[in-house]
Order: sequence, then C-alpha cells, then structure tokens
Amino acid sequence: MMKKMLSLALTFAMAATLTACGSKAPETTAAPADTKAAGSSAEATTGAGAAGTAAKDVQKIIDRGVLKVGCKSDIPKFSLQNTATGQYEGFEDDLAYEIAGSIFGCSAAEAKEKKLVEFQGVTAKTRGPLLENGEIDLVIATFTITPERKETYNFSTPYYTDAVGLLVNKDSGIKSIQDLDGKIIGVAQSSTTKDGFKKYVDEKGLKVNPQFQEFDGYPALAQALATKQIDCFSVDRAILAGYVNDGNLILEDRFAEQDYGVAAAKGNTGLAETVEKKVTSMLSDGSMKKLQDQWGLQ
Amino acid sequence: MIKGLFDGKRWSALFAAFPEYYIPGFLMTLKISLVGLAVALVLGVVFGMFSSSKWKLLKIISRIYVEFIQNTPLALQVMCYYSVLPMLFSSSGFRIPKFVLGVIGVGVYHGAYISEVIRTGIEAIPKGQSEAAASQGFSYLETMYHIILPQTIKIIMPPLANQALNLVKNTSILAMVAGMDLMYFTDSWGADRGYFAQAYFTSAVMYFIICFPLARLARYLEIRSMRLPVAKKLDIQADEEAAC
Repeated sequence: MMKKMLSLALTFAMAATLTACGSKAPETTAAPADTKAAGSSAEATTGAGAAGTAAKDVQKIIDRGVLKVGCKSDIPKFSLQNTATGQYEGFEDDLAYEIAGSIFGCSAAEAKEKKLVEFQGVTAKTRGPLLENGEIDLVIATFTITPERKETYNFSTPYYTDAVGLLVNKDSGIKSIQDLDGKIIGVAQSSTTKDGFKKYVDEKGLKVNPQFQEFDGYPALAQALATKQIDCFSVDRAILAGYVNDGNLILEDRFAEQDYGVAAAKGNTGLAETVEKKVTSMLSDGSMKKLQDQWGLQ
Repeated sequence: MIKGLFDGKRWSALFAAFPEYYIPGFLMTLKISLVGLAVALVLGVVFGMFSSSKWKLLKIISRIYVEFIQNTPLALQVMCYYSVLPMLFSSSGFRIPKFVLGVIGVGVYHGAYISEVIRTGIEAIPKGQSEAAASQGFSYLETMYHIILPQTIKIIMPPLANQALNLVKNTSILAMVAGMDLMYFTDSWGADRGYFAQAYFTSAVMYFIICFPLARLARYLEIRSMRLPVAKKLDIQADEEAAC
C-alpha cells in the first residue's frame, strides 16, 4: 500500500513538472520575440533608409536586429576570442561588423558599438552544419573556397588569399618538404591541405609520400606535434602563425594558395548578394587592404 | 543538416566514398571491438576473482585498478595513452599503433567495469551454498564450477552485455586521436564534403550492425543459462512414450 501511494505521488510530481515545462516554453519563446520587436523598431529608423528593398532573408535579419556570424575563436590576428572580455577580435570580426553595417544601414563602428553582430565560435567541422541548419547566418572563418563547397554554400568573392605552411619540431631534423617522405602529417578535418600537398609535390616532381592523419581542431594538432605523435602540423599559414614557439619552426615551403570567402547558406541568396556587394566594394576602394594592414596581415 | 537528408546527389556521393572511407573504418572498429572485448573479459575475470578472493593484497590491487579507471573519463585515458605513454619508452617520438591504442583504451576501461560485474555476481550467491558444498566434500574449484558459476552467469549476463555494447560504442573515442576507426572516417568524409546527415546516418547504421547481433547473442546466452538441465526432460519424454 505504502509503495503504491509513493509511486502515485511520484507520478503526480512528474506530471506537475512536465506541465510546468510545457507552460514555460511559450513564455521563453515569447520573451526574445518581444526584444526582437523592440530591436527592429529601433533599427527601422536606421535600416529602412539603406535597404529599402531588402530581400526576404535579409529582412529577417533586420527584424531580428542581430546578424549571427560564425567565426574562429583561436586564430591570432584573424579572429581570436579575448579570454578576459569574451569579445572576438581580429580581421575577420571587423569584416563581420562591416557587413552588419551594410545590412543594418550604419557604419561598422556603430554596428560594433550597438552589438549588431552576435559571434559564435566555430571550428572547421562545425561551421558547415551550423550554417546549414540556420544557427548562424554567415561563416567568416578562414573558409577556403572549393568547387565542391560551392555546391553546398553561397561563397562571396575571396577577401584574403593564404597558403598552407608546414610546422615541424626543431629537433626532428626536418629541413624541407623532401624530408617529409614517409612521415606523418597532421591536418585539420575538413581542410584542403591534403590535396594541396599532393599537387605541390607532383608539380615540383618530388617523390614525397607522407601519411596524413586528420584531427578535430588545431589545439589537438599542436598537442600531437608537441608530443611527437605527428611529424608535421600542416594547415593554413595564418593559423600556423599562432602556434609557433621555441621548439618548432615553419618550413620555407608554401603551397596550395587558397582563397577565403564569406559563406552563406545556399538558400539565402539575398543575403549572399548583400555580402558580395560589400566585399567587392571593400576590395575596390582599398578598405579591405587597409583593414588587413591594420591587423598586420600579409 | 536534416534538410539534405533525402538529397539523392548526396547519397550517391556517399556510395562513391563508401569503399574508401567506411569499409576500412568499419573493419578497424570491428577488430578493436572484438580484441578489446577479449582483453576486457580477461582483465575483468582476473580482477573480479582478485576482489572476491581471500587475500587482502589482491583485493587492494583490484580496488585501486577499478576505482582509478571507473572514476576518470575514457577520453582522458585515451589521450594519456596517446601522448604520455610513448614518452615512457623513449623521447624520440615512439608511436603506439592505433589498433593497439584502441584495444588498450577500451579493454582496460571496460575491464574495470566487468570485474565489478563479476565480483557482484559471485557475491550474489549466498555463502550458505559454498558451505553446504564444502560439507558434501566439494573442493573449491568443484564448488565454483558446479554450483556458484552456473548461477552467477544468469545474474551477470545482462550487465555484461551492457558493457560489451558500450565497449563497441566507446571505440568511437579514438576519432579524437586520429584512430582510423569508423567515427574518424565518418568525421573525415562528413567534414570534407559537408554532407553531415548522410555521413552520420550511415555511421549510426554501421555501429548498429555491430551492436545488434551482439545484443541478440547476449540475450540468447542469458535465456540458455536459465534453461533447466536437459536430463529431466528426457525422463519425462520416456515416461510419456511408455504411457502411450
């Protein structure tokens, strides 16, 4: 009898919590909607003038009042999350503010001040799915343009050209790309390093046949190199520069020149167009170059 | 991610990549699972017997092993085997083969759990039965073989099956250290092309292909161990035939 009553009481308790959750859910969804509405009315004054005939997907962002951008959080100069303040700082983050400015019809400085960009840290692995399921609007995260990726995402004109580099331990005795024959090269998942390496070696007529291993994230690669589980850490030079220390060095060789583009989801053509316009205008009026110089790139 | 799930083009890309990515990954996971399970069972039986033995020292050794392994995450253990263990052998970049790494990783981890399963299984049989057997002149081994273990197997089969299935699924942790297993190739191909729905769905099916027969086997063994001894059945049949 006691047992039965106890189980009954438990059932009620569970039912109560369930209904509590049920009633709470609409509230939580309603709350951001209110703030969104407030945000968009504030935006309406500034945004309406600039983007009078905004596409549906752009309009959605303007209504929401914030542009969601996926950026790397671990690449010095490009996009690094300040551990003290939580802010994203770097060339790509400033580019995101520029684009937000053109969407909301204000300057980049204003966009930064009003926090019109919501950054989300992404990795090579997460940026694709996040973009596809609509969690973020744009990816500005050292995203290399390839023909295969163009089928899946909407890329802008390249805003930066980088090459792949090779980081090796100083005490490994590896001096050039030829010494890498039979060694293990660690590359990042979803990177184009492997194909680029093979092409470069073929072009130079070298007989270098290393083994490739893929890792999820650059810290894992740096750790594997430090503990000598891989002989070489090979990713884009921009990223590699953040991992140089006393014990390792970047080899002279550079290969697989690659272009970074701003990516939008395939369906968001209106947004892609806005981004494309902004990037090309920044390239032609020299402000892109200025921004890169400001962050000490190239 | 779900949007592209029924995209035919993406599926055909997956089938094109299947022999290169999924077959070697599947075989590696299968090999690690089977050898890892054997290692885990051996470790489990040895340490399970240690902890139910009369010797204090063996009990303490078994306790240390079980508590240390049970209370640290597998990811950390694998990371440790991957980057710290080689340094013990030499500092000039000795590398443990990925297959061995996987077998040690899941084998040692689940060995600790299985030893607990076996210990509780043995302890679940009332002491009176051992005493009764001793009074009838059974030796220790005879007591174990004829009386304790047949009952133990019935008790430990379900948790043991749990451990075996978890072992298979936990091999996926190797992807973290480029383990060349199924999860590694799934991540690799999925991230390469951006077709995550196809990549992960297929991977799930392949893990299921390994796990499901294992679960059925465990269930079969459990049912078989519950069956009554066959000799009695024959007697009844003989009686019935005689009655006819």
